[in-house]
Amino acid sequence: MSGEGGRAGRASGSTEPSGPPIHLRPARDADVAALVPLLLRLKRLNEEFDPLLKVREDAEQQARQILKADVGNPKAVVLAAEGVGPDRGKVVGFVRAHVRERAFYAPEFEGVILDIYLLPLYRRRGVGEFVLEEVTKALKAKGAGIVTAEFPAQNEIASRFYSKRGFRPITAVQARSL
Amino acid sequence: MARSASPPVDPERPGRRKAGVGPSAAERSEDQTEELGERSVELSHFYGGKIETVPKVPVRSLGDFALWYTPGVAAVSRAIQADPDRAFELTGRWNTIAIVTDGSRVLGLGEIGPEAALPVMEGKALLFKVLGGVDAIPVPIRARSPDEFIATVEAMAPAFGGINLEDIASPKCFGILEKLAHRLPIPVWHDDQLGTAAATVAGLLNALTLTHRSMPEVRTVLLGAGAANLVTARLLLELGHSPHTLTLVDQKGILHADREDLDELELRNPWKYRIALATDGGGRTGDLGAALADADVLLAASTPKPDTVRPEHIRAMAKGPIVFALANPMPEIWPEVAEGAGAAIVATGRSDFPNQVNNSLIFPAVFRGVLDARARAIPDEVVLAAARELARGAALKGLSKHHLLPTMEEPEVFPQIAAAVGDTAVRLGIARRKLSHDEFLERAHALMGRPAQLVRALARARLTPPMPRAAPRRRRKNA
Repeated sequence: MSGEGGRAGRASGSTEPSGPPIHLRPARDADVAALVPLLLRLKRLNEEFDPLLKVREDAEQQARQILKADVGNPKAVVLAAEGVGPDRGKVVGFVRAHVRERAFYAPEFEGVILDIYLLPLYRRRGVGEFVLEEVTKALKAKGAGIVTAEFPAQNEIASRFYSKRGFRPITAVQARSL
Repeated sequence: MARSASPPVDPERPGRRKAGVGPSAAERSEDQTEELGERSVELSHFYGGKIETVPKVPVRSLGDFALWYTPGVAAVSRAIQADPDRAFELTGRWNTIAIVTDGSRVLGLGEIGPEAALPVMEGKALLFKVLGGVDAIPVPIRARSPDEFIATVEAMAPAFGGINLEDIASPKCFGILEKLAHRLPIPVWHDDQLGTAAATVAGLLNALTLTHRSMPEVRTVLLGAGAANLVTARLLLELGHSPHTLTLVDQKGILHADREDLDELELRNPWKYRIALATDGGGRTGDLGAALADADVLLAASTPKPDTVRPEHIRAMAKGPIVFALANPMPEIWPEVAEGAGAAIVATGRSDFPNQVNNSLIFPAVFRGVLDARARAIPDEVVLAAARELARGAALKGLSKHHLLPTMEEPEVFPQIAAAVGDTAVRLGIARRKLSHDEFLERAHALMGRPAQLVRALARARLTPPMPRAAPRRRRKNA
C-alpha cells in the first residue's frame, strides 16, 4: 500500500515535511468541548480490552467535569494537540497527567500519565514519542521525579510503546467483579 | 419465498415485479439451487466423493515396487536430503498443493466446521485439476485458534508446492495469509481475497477502457469492506488509483479516518484500519448515497440482497457509470435495474448474466504459473499480472458492454495467464525455475489440457461410471 494518505489537505505521511504533524500546547477551558469526545474514544477503546472497563452511561458528563477540573489545576497537566498546516486550530489529540505524592517511596512526586489519545491520522511518525517527551517535561517542571503510565493490562500496543522507551511495570492492579 | 402461489403482480413489491427480471431471476435461482442440491447429494453418495489418487507410473509387476518404494526409493530420499529443493523434481511436490480451511466461513453457510467443509474443498480440488492441471489435496483442519491453524499448515508444507487457503472468515483470513506467506517458502493464496480481487480488477480495467476512463481520474466506491474489497482497494492503490477518490463503504457508512470505530478496527482488523487511513473515505463522510454522488465506479461485494443498491443511487453517479454487483447468489442490484438507471456497464458474480466476475478465471492459472516457476511467493505484482492478462484475453476477442471478461468457455486465455504469472515470478526473482515465456506457455497448455483427456479416457473405459439418472424429484408443497 502506498503509505498513509488523507483527505485533500489533511495530515499525510508522504507529502508532509518531517517532524510531528501536530503542535502541542497547554489546554484551555475553551478546549474542553473538543477534548470530551477524544477522551470518550479512549475510554471506549479501553472497554475493548476488558469487560471490567465498561464505560459508564454518564461518561460524557464525567469527562467534561474531569477535564474542566484538570485544565488549570496546578497538580495536573493537560496538553492539547493541534493539527498543523490546514488543520491548525483543530484539536486532534491530547494528553492528561497528574502529579501525585508518594507516601512511602522516593522520589516523592510521581507524574502519572492517565490518558494519551491521538486521532488515527495523527499517529505514527514519532507523534506519540513527541507527546510523551513533552508531557514528561511538563511533569518534571512540576516536581515529578518519576513518570508512570496507566493503561489496560491487555493493551499490548501501549505496553510495547512504553517499554520501548524505558518504562517497566512497577505496580500491578488486578481485579475481579463482585 | 412463495413461488407460483404469489400473484403475477406482488402488491408488496410492485417495483420489483414490474422490473421483470428481479423476482423471476431470484426465484429461478432459488428453485435451481434446491434441485442442484438434491442431485449433488445423490451423486456424492453414488461416487463416494469427487476425487481419488491415481498412480502416474507404470506398475508392470510387483517387482516394480522395488523402484517406486523400498529399496530403490531410499536413494531418492537421500538426494532430497542433500538438496531439499530436489523434492520439486523427484516427487509430485512440483504440482501438488493443499486446500486448507478451518471451516469458519464456508460458501454462504457460515461456520460449519471442517468435516462439513470437505465436500466444498473436494469440489475446489476438482476445479484445480480440471482447469489448472493442479493436484490439489483437500485438508480441512480443526484448529482452535488462528495460531494453531498457521502452525498446522506450516508443519505440513514440506509435502506441497503451494497452499490454497479456502473459506476462512474475515478478518482472521488476512492475518493467516500474511503470516503463512511470510513463513513458508512456497506460494500461499487465499481465493476470497486475491482471486476475487484480481478478477474484479481485470473487469474494471476493461470497463474503464470501454467507457474511455483512466485509473488516476476516476472516483470509485467499494461497497463492502470484507476479504475481497479490502484487497481490491489495495490493488487499485497499487495500480495508481488516487486514495483521495477511493471510498469504501460498509454497514456503518463511509470508512474514513475519523470514524468512531477506528480504534476498535486498529485492534481487531488492522487491514481495514490501514485502508481507512490510506483513503480517508476518499474525502467524504456519510452514507452510500454520499459516497456515490458523481462516482464513476461502484464495486459492490457486500450482502446478497437486491435493493442494497437502489436505482436512485445509480442515477446520482457520474454519467454512464460502471457498476459491479458481485454479491452471490443475489446481486446488490439486478443488472436490468442498474442499466435502466443509466449504468453503462454492469457485471455480477453470476453465470446467467453477462460479465461474470468469477475467481475461477484466475486461481487455476495463477497456480499453474507459480507451480511451473516453482515460485516462493505470490506478491501483488503477480496478482496484478494475472488480472492484466485476463483483461487482455477479453480485449483480444473484442470488448463490449456484454463482453468485459472471458467466460469459462474461453479457456484459451488460461495458459496465457499462467505464462504471465510465470514471467512475473521470474522477473521478481522469486522463481526457482526460470523458463522463457514460450516455455511457460507450452507447459501450461500441456498441463492444463491433460486433465480433460484424462477425464474423457476414464469415462470411455467406464472406469468413471456414467452419471446415474436423477431420482424423481419430490414435489414441493406449494408447487
